[in-house]
Amino acid sequence: MTTKVLIVDDSSVSRKMIKKSLPPEWDVAITEAANGIEALEQYKLGVADVMFLDLTMPELDGYGVLEQIQKDGLNSMIIVISADIQPEAAERVKKLGAMAFIKKPIDTEKLSAVLKEHGII
Amino acid sequence: MSEDFEDLMTNEHYEVLTEVVNIGMGQAGDSLARFLGVFIRLSIPRIKLVKADDLRKQLVELVGNDVEVTGVRQAFFTHWYGEAITLFDQGGSKDLAKLMHYPDDMDKETEKELFLDVGNLLSGACVNGVSEQFGIELNYSPPSILSQNVFVEDLFAADKMAWTHSLLMEVNFSMEEYKFKSHLLIMMTEESIETLAKDLERFMERY
Repeated sequence: MTTKVLIVDDSSVSRKMIKKSLPPEWDVAITEAANGIEALEQYKLGVADVMFLDLTMPELDGYGVLEQIQKDGLNSMIIVISADIQPEAAERVKKLGAMAFIKKPIDTEKLSAVLKEHGII
Repeated sequence: MSEDFEDLMTNEHYEVLTEVVNIGMGQAGDSLARFLGVFIRLSIPRIKLVKADDLRKQLVELVGNDVEVTGVRQAFFTHWYGEAITLFDQGGSKDLAKLMHYPDDMDKETEKELFLDVGNLLSGACVNGVSEQFGIELNYSPPSILSQNVFVEDLFAADKMAWTHSLLMEVNFSMEEYKFKSHLLIMMTEESIETLAKDLERFMERY
């Protein structure tokens, strides 16, 4: 069964790195968003079974996306992938409903471990 | 602007470098957060190729010129050659002193030591965070005070620059509920831009 994946990051390079790090055997349909506003628009269109979300972005940051999704009471499987590696950043996003936090730079090993831990693959 | 330097760095080079600097900045923010025991707000990195005689104008655009700053400089060398310059807004120095348990009435010499310590921590963590992603080890000079309590436009004199073009990278760090703000500038001059461009190409081959 194909999993719908939304990759949210203002850096096209980072989005490319995340795509390259997805487990090769995982059957996915990928949509991309370059900021929080685009992410929420795409999310509401139902393109995300799983969302990979950056934190530091223009327009609306990752915290803002999580707050809005929490406020709207939407079901979500959101994994934050961020260069902001402060322990408090990870605590904050988990309180806002993120299921996991992965430190950049991303690689297949880190990503697969989190996806397996949460029963996604 | 020399076409040679414009040609060396394409849009893709800038995009890759921005992401690499973003990761380095995250490591610097984490070091500062652990050092001070507070949450640090990070910016989106900004990167520009600048000419020496345009540097002051570009710095004012990036940093502003409304408050006095103290600058701490630290050179790095071996594979890349450049400088990391940490600017501290004067208004936030009391916050920094408070978080570090320094006395309210600290003298100029103590304040200088405080800026040198924090400047060293930020520039070392960020530049290391960048170079580690390329598997490169750099050497550093000891940190020194560039200027104390000056406006940004007075930090550098264009006629004293030993270079004509520089890659200027800027990130900034601030704290919730405090006035503290610090800008970290990483500058790499002509001789390193070509090396860096090749390093960025090799970096992207992994992806």
